Amino acid sequence: MIQHLVDGILVGSFLSLGAIGLTMVMHILRFANFSHAELLSIGAYSALVFDKVFQVLLPFSAAKIGPLSMTWALALSVVLAMAFTGASAMLMDRLVFKRVRARGDELSMVFASFGMALIVRNVIGLVFGLSSQLYSKDIVFAMVISRDPLLLVKPDQIFVFGAALLLMLGLHLLLSRTTFGFALRAVAENPVLAQVHGVNLQRMITAVWVIGGSLGAVAGVFYGLSYQITPVMGRDLVLPIFAATIVGGLGSVYGAVFGGFLVGIASNLALVILPSGYSPSVPFLMILAVLVLRPYGLFGEARP
Amino acid sequence: MIGVISYLVFFTTVAAILSIAVLGLNLQWGNTGLFNGGVVASFGAGAYGTLILGGAPQESHFGGFGLAYPLALLGGMIFAGLLAWVVGVLTLRLRHDYLAIATFGVAVAFENVARNAIWLTGGAQGVRGFERPLRAELGDGFLYNLIFLVAVLIALWLVFLFLQRLTVSPFGRMLRAIREDETAARSLGKAPDRVRLTAFVTGSVIMGLSGGLYGTFYAFISPQDVLPILTFQIWAMLIVGGAGNNAGAIFGTFLIWGAWTFSGWALARFAPIEAQLYTGSIQFVLIGFVIVGMLLWRPQGLFPERLVVSQPGANRDKPQAEGLT
Amino acid sequence: MRKSFYVAAFALGVASLGSEAQAQDCTIKVGAALPTSVDWGRPIAEVAQFAVDQVNDAGGAAGCQIEMVLRDTQVDPKVGVDAAKALVDLEGVNVLLGAVSSGVSMPILNSVTVPGGVMQMSCCSSSTAFTKLAADGKTNGLWYRTFATTAVQSAMGAKVAADQGWKTVAVLYKNDDWGQDMARLIEADFAAAGVTVTGSVAINDAQPSYRAEVTDALGGQPEALYLALYPTEGTSAVREWLSLGGTQNMILANSLKSDEFRENVGLQYLGNAFGTDTASPRVESADAFRAAYQERFGSEPNGPGLANSYDAAMITLLAMEAAGKDASGADIAAAVAKVTDPNGIPVSADTAGFTAAKSVLAGGGTVMYQGATGNVRFDANGDVSAPAVVWSFTDEGTQEVEYVSLEDVDAFIESLK
Repeated sequence: MIQHLVDGILVGSFLSLGAIGLTMVMHILRFANFSHAELLSIGAYSALVFDKVFQVLLPFSAAKIGPLSMTWALALSVVLAMAFTGASAMLMDRLVFKRVRARGDELSMVFASFGMALIVRNVIGLVFGLSSQLYSKDIVFAMVISRDPLLLVKPDQIFVFGAALLLMLGLHLLLSRTTFGFALRAVAENPVLAQVHGVNLQRMITAVWVIGGSLGAVAGVFYGLSYQITPVMGRDLVLPIFAATIVGGLGSVYGAVFGGFLVGIASNLALVILPSGYSPSVPFLMILAVLVLRPYGLFGEARP
Repeated sequence: MIGVISYLVFFTTVAAILSIAVLGLNLQWGNTGLFNGGVVASFGAGAYGTLILGGAPQESHFGGFGLAYPLALLGGMIFAGLLAWVVGVLTLRLRHDYLAIATFGVAVAFENVARNAIWLTGGAQGVRGFERPLRAELGDGFLYNLIFLVAVLIALWLVFLFLQRLTVSPFGRMLRAIREDETAARSLGKAPDRVRLTAFVTGSVIMGLSGGLYGTFYAFISPQDVLPILTFQIWAMLIVGGAGNNAGAIFGTFLIWGAWTFSGWALARFAPIEAQLYTGSIQFVLIGFVIVGMLLWRPQGLFPERLVVSQPGANRDKPQAEGLT
Repeated sequence: MRKSFYVAAFALGVASLGSEAQAQDCTIKVGAALPTSVDWGRPIAEVAQFAVDQVNDAGGAAGCQIEMVLRDTQVDPKVGVDAAKALVDLEGVNVLLGAVSSGVSMPILNSVTVPGGVMQMSCCSSSTAFTKLAADGKTNGLWYRTFATTAVQSAMGAKVAADQGWKTVAVLYKNDDWGQDMARLIEADFAAAGVTVTGSVAINDAQPSYRAEVTDALGGQPEALYLALYPTEGTSAVREWLSLGGTQNMILANSLKSDEFRENVGLQYLGNAFGTDTASPRVESADAFRAAYQERFGSEPNGPGLANSYDAAMITLLAMEAAGKDASGADIAAAVAKVTDPNGIPVSADTAGFTAAKSVLAGGGTVMYQGATGNVRFDANGDVSAPAVVWSFTDEGTQEVEYVSLEDVDAFIESLK
């Protein structure tokens, strides 16, 4: 029981990171982006490439960091992957979403994101092959935190959790303490008014994509570190991330963080009562419950 | 030559069955503006309902009531309608994108139940014991396929006729009124929630019919038939054909399903053998590009909705809301 | 009608080529509907093509070169059925290899191959539904599969547990038709062998994390773990299992006989892992497949369905050879018995074996194909039975731990009842 709870929090770490980006995009651009989870794949795979490059160029960077399965090379790669994925997200917006936005309505956007997800997923499959890959083949054993009740935690998990919290804190400061943060919130509240006040809308949209993409990249790498990377990981993660976003409430970064943890915990705890075959339905049941009871999410606010 | 005809009959049957589902979606999305992301749930409900009601008794799972085929098909449609009613009551008041996600989730859960509730659906092995109707009389060769095609085309024609009538009826006008401006419709004394629910359930019953025919044609249904990819395919057909236009929806179905199968054939035929192993991925990329390209260059579809202007000076274009659209 | 049309066209074509139209001047198409767009499906198609190439090196089958026309099923039943229908109607194939998933093979069988009189040979569809369908006489003898029924796998698993003295076992199974079947059989077989199943946990495809499932299985504190999974989720689940301190005593279904699994989990953790599989017979020629495969692909033929796919293709081609030119699908299906005859002359699974089989068949004899999965022998329902082997991982690939002859397999299964 307690083990499920702790595991849930740790799964929640990367769901939260994914959900933050999605909630911002959905809030500002007002569409359900079904391709957001593919940004996690782009992040994970680009980090894989950078990791290989670093290991060749700087052999000493292949050393592990303390008890983690993460290497210095991978740590560096994460930074590059964030930049690369942020740029990819921006590019996707420029090439597709921006144009669709200009022509159609929100629902064309939803559908375009379906199409984009399909393209990204299969291009990755063509380039990297369909089988799963690992950053490190070594298995890091869990530490026994307590024997009764049995509680096991992997060092990687603690690192992922800590790093995720740190990133969220950074984002919090960015949004609450800087002019940029205010401008972003203004755009989300009322784009027309914000523009009147001299906020550059296009720049704000770009910023949202870059933030969403780079956080997604981190989430993707953390996911790969904890499990494995496959071309279809976006497909596997899309529903839990949506669930985290909706449970938290659209547009609320804190809601997304909370939603991510809640979905992680619920998915893990659900196995205590449900046969494991039903686990894919859990995120959905949470979405439905929240939408029926509190349609704008736990932290969201009603908006026309 | 005979091979080609035999294949065309087969292809047309599948495309016509899918067309029915696309027409159902057109009622929901094209005419009413409901984003149903869970088309497969209705489709699957119809298929499972039909096969369970119409199949021979099975020891391994529920059902096998051996009902006469028309009753079984009707039962499947009713089941699809009931499911849609429950889903609709819970979700239809949601915003578009929430509705898309919630219904998407319904479909995931439907597949999940079909896969796991072995006592009910046969689990991952699928429903067994269903015989195609009149198989004993007609054999199961080319003649059977031909007659089945005729039956499916009649069903498609009836659904098409029904929806064409509906579109020009007062109810159809009301649907569009609600789609375009809910507040205005409400002020005219209409009850948007109830109307939307009616349209949603009706559309789902039509999808259920499509699913029932699909299950009948293959004499089999399993969770693999109700994966989210089918929702995507059906949406692609509607978007390409033109939302709001029934003839366009049917054309879109034939076009997309034709492209889907033809690209597989062409890649198998002309691509070098090493590349053939990648055809699946290439195909998905191509389909993705078709969708995105369509939305970029012709978002209204190949056959846009023909607008019925009821009053002079009526302007359909939405006001540019919120500056971002 | 269609058949005779093709036959006529074919005969005309051949006649017009003149008398020197021996092996090289004509081509017979063989259809393959396989899921090449999924990770484990692509190698299955590659190995089928490999068998076809070997046969062509031996001068082809039924006097012609063989061309395998491969279509992707995308693991989508309607795409798979359409592909099969196109292969039958447009390419005019009389035999179809495929599909992999039972959920795709079944509608193909119902609506394409049986109505069209085409022989269908699946490498990997494991559902017991096919046995029932065949027993009800609805497959017209056109259906075969080289995947030994799950019963052998699960019984051998029970034998391993009993032999190793493992009293409690947790089960992780893939939540598909094969896995659900396995879980059900394992529960019964293990109990009969006096082994307690502490927990049986379904592993769904496409889940972000299997941690909760693994924690669940770990809860029963079993002495050993049974894995009925494919490499991708198997790797994920086992790594999770090991890192949480789960036992290294493992029993693996044949689907995990995979280099990907061995490398990604790590050999150092697999010292106490025993796999089960259907076996090659105790003759030298049985290594032919392995050696030839290694030469072509540079690795051991390890992966779900590879050996089965190879045998499916090879047996089909042998049957085509035995049925002779211009044979119908039903003729070829009937000829399968001639090439898997337990009393026939043994032939190996490679080019040389096929050449040898040709001369035996030309002389009116029958052959016993010693395939990659053993002395394949089909029963009346198109199901295969074969001897079994217990294997373990090594540096290079896998090694045999124990060989269980067909009689012993049958006797052991009987003892569980």
